[in-house]
Amino acid sequence: MKTGAQIVSVTPGPHAVWVDGVTFTYHGADRPALRAVSFVQSAGEMIGVMGASGAGKSTLAKCLNRIVPEFEDGDFRGSIRIAGEPLEHLRVCDVAPKVGMVFQDFESQLFSTNVAHEVAFAMEQVGMGRAEMDRRIIPALEAVGLRGFEHRDPTSLSGGEKQRLAIASVLALRPSVIVLDEPTTDLDPEGRAEVFELIARLRAQGLSLIVIEHESEELRAADRIMVLREGEIAADGPPSEVFARTDLLTGCGVRPPGLGHALKLLEIDAQAESVEQAYDAIVRAYPRLGATSVGIIADSRAPEQPATAESASIGSAFMEIEDVSFSYAGGPRVLNSIDLTVEAGDFIAIVGQNGSGKTTLAKQIVGLLQPATGRVTIEGKDRAQMRPAETAREVAYVFQNPDHQIFAATVQEEVAFGPRNFGLADDEIQRRCDEALEAVGLQNERQSDPFLLSKGERQRLAVASVLVLRPRMLILDEPTTGLDHREQVRMMALVRGLNRGGIAIVIITHTPWLVAEYARRVVLLRKGAKIFDGGVREFFMQDELLRSSSFRAPEITELSRRFGTLALTTDEFVAWVKGRA
Amino acid sequence: MPIYLYLDRGTFVHRLHPTVKVFALFIMFWSVYWVDNPIALAPVGLVMLWLAQLTDSWPNFHRLRWLFAILVFTTTIAWMVFYRRGAVLVNVPIFHVSRMSLLFGVGRGIRLAELLAASVLFLSTTKIEEFTYGLQRMRVPYRVGFAISLSFRLVPLFIDSAVTIVDAQRLRGYDFNQGGPLERVRRYVPVVIPVFMGALRKANNMAMALEARGFGFSHEPTTFIEYPVRGADILAFVLLIGLGTLNFMLYWTGLGGIGPLK
Repeated sequence: MKTGAQIVSVTPGPHAVWVDGVTFTYHGADRPALRAVSFVQSAGEMIGVMGASGAGKSTLAKCLNRIVPEFEDGDFRGSIRIAGEPLEHLRVCDVAPKVGMVFQDFESQLFSTNVAHEVAFAMEQVGMGRAEMDRRIIPALEAVGLRGFEHRDPTSLSGGEKQRLAIASVLALRPSVIVLDEPTTDLDPEGRAEVFELIARLRAQGLSLIVIEHESEELRAADRIMVLREGEIAADGPPSEVFARTDLLTGCGVRPPGLGHALKLLEIDAQAESVEQAYDAIVRAYPRLGATSVGIIADSRAPEQPATAESASIGSAFMEIEDVSFSYAGGPRVLNSIDLTVEAGDFIAIVGQNGSGKTTLAKQIVGLLQPATGRVTIEGKDRAQMRPAETAREVAYVFQNPDHQIFAATVQEEVAFGPRNFGLADDEIQRRCDEALEAVGLQNERQSDPFLLSKGERQRLAVASVLVLRPRMLILDEPTTGLDHREQVRMMALVRGLNRGGIAIVIITHTPWLVAEYARRVVLLRKGAKIFDGGVREFFMQDELLRSSSFRAPEITELSRRFGTLALTTDEFVAWVKGRA
Repeated sequence: MPIYLYLDRGTFVHRLHPTVKVFALFIMFWSVYWVDNPIALAPVGLVMLWLAQLTDSWPNFHRLRWLFAILVFTTTIAWMVFYRRGAVLVNVPIFHVSRMSLLFGVGRGIRLAELLAASVLFLSTTKIEEFTYGLQRMRVPYRVGFAISLSFRLVPLFIDSAVTIVDAQRLRGYDFNQGGPLERVRRYVPVVIPVFMGALRKANNMAMALEARGFGFSHEPTTFIEYPVRGADILAFVLLIGLGTLNFMLYWTGLGGIGPLK
């Protein structure tokens, strides 16, 4: 990405943001989403906001540009000033030139058919003259590394480019503050890296930033971390201090950075903001390790491996893909001569950038798409001879967005929908519903309205509604997207439990720590071709492959490699260190 | 596969002033409205074919070929049931197959196809911003014009989402093809509800994002792109008036109806 141009305006007044005693209760809610929140942001400061789903992060962001309470109905108390100016009595559109807001869903915030026009959109709305718009468009695009894209259709951009375009369009108004509400949730690793590189550049230029994010590693560069819990500020301070409070973070549903957590478990009183710092701190505490460690793995094919929690329990071939290629009508090849075998009890992570063919491959397996060449077999039967409904009893597919299937009035009815379609008897349906709801922990929500469940619960409901068909293989397309850490762990514990019960699992994911902690095998796709298929440890040793796929090993894995070993989880690494000490 | 119909071809039609393009869409609809006779519908049809060739919009027509075929076929068949005038040519139960019912049915089918073709041509050559601008210049309030043009952008997104939802329900063993026509419509409930809920959520997100980008700040937003009126726009405007007048005259003289062909 290019280095951006300096386009930040001078922020008048002592504080970029001044929030005093803000309490907001959504209409009909029984408790406030925000309770007496007060803080001050200095000009040029970057604040990272973290917390579990429902902690009040997005509500706080929306308060800063008056979406709350102008757009969202409820009871608002307190006061907010931006660059010294009070927001009371202003409409959302009046605040737009002062506070730029970037949302998670990039598709919903692009309105034009051409990149330059997209950047001009907000300027048009505030009645800016054409000459001034012309002057601002190129610097805004330059700032986000999209110079030269002026005439491109925004729908043709990658996810990361779309989100950078959304940032350019708010930058063009030269606001005092930019608020980014989980801007990378829907992006692949490459898109995430692009957006966070851009955030770092904007910060270096002195722009005041508020970034809401789930992944703590991404916010290390912030000046302050603010952790919200049930609408209140539970912690607010420099990242080194806040991230050191791992118990508090875990209690707030935030995943502590792996390095800091490892140091704490090793009882080392030090902060680590990078793998190098963590390495030095451990070597200081355990000099023997430093003397024996080689810094890099001498033989990457045969690393010293710690005992793993998971041992392979692979059975016989259950599903086989043989030389499958596929193109959408009139389009280029999306899958190119793919071979893949899934064995009973397997736990596979399919990774790769957006557009690499992961979801298309999953759709080939379940029969939503037919291969142009090659074939898919399930237990030796040609899948082409099976209807999707038939396949569903063998291989279930959980879509990325659980809302793509939920329609019933109650959780029970939603789960019963599948077995009813297969004409099962009522008592059998009930038995299976009980079993599936129990497995996903929703047995007490039978009569609840599915639309009122949290995102994590809706995701588990989606799993229950296919689990009820008792499949032998389960494909989950990005099952943790949009979930907070607590929900992610719960979801993955459920998936691991199903796997231990004998169901073969295939997850499509962009999240390195999920791959490291849960999968036993990794399949990497690039431009429709399978370029890696092997064990997780082997995968995380392929530096060149990881780099070229914009996929990073978890920091704890990188740290362990500095010691000449390869640990996949913090616990594993800590056990290894203690064993050597 | 692209989800929008706009094709960036830079032809003479693409370069027309947005107001002329919105007016052209209106004239096409107007022209088709006044005539029933398949032969009288031919001039508008030929103009559209010429425009499709000129603007190289064939890929969009190809994408929608089945919709065109279904429209013409089902409308023709339906009118042979309900339009019961003229001497019967062939005895078919329920149907009234006469020269008149055939002409009327085919005429109605072509009419619908031409309405669709006019829309396809318009969307193939007009950007959303141009559509909004054109409506604004025709004195349609900015908010209304923007909402209309935005709805064209949303339809493909909803179709995309509906396809995913159909897939999700099929994988739960649901068969959309069971039963008679009414039962089949009823069986789309598990699709309609998620699409509707998704649309509400999307519309809400979009409305928030719009306001956060200053939408509503001014009643008369400025425009980034200038659209000067050129000689070609005036010529096109005159030709469109001529086409609209011609079709109204076909109706006025009775030549556009089925009657004179008896």
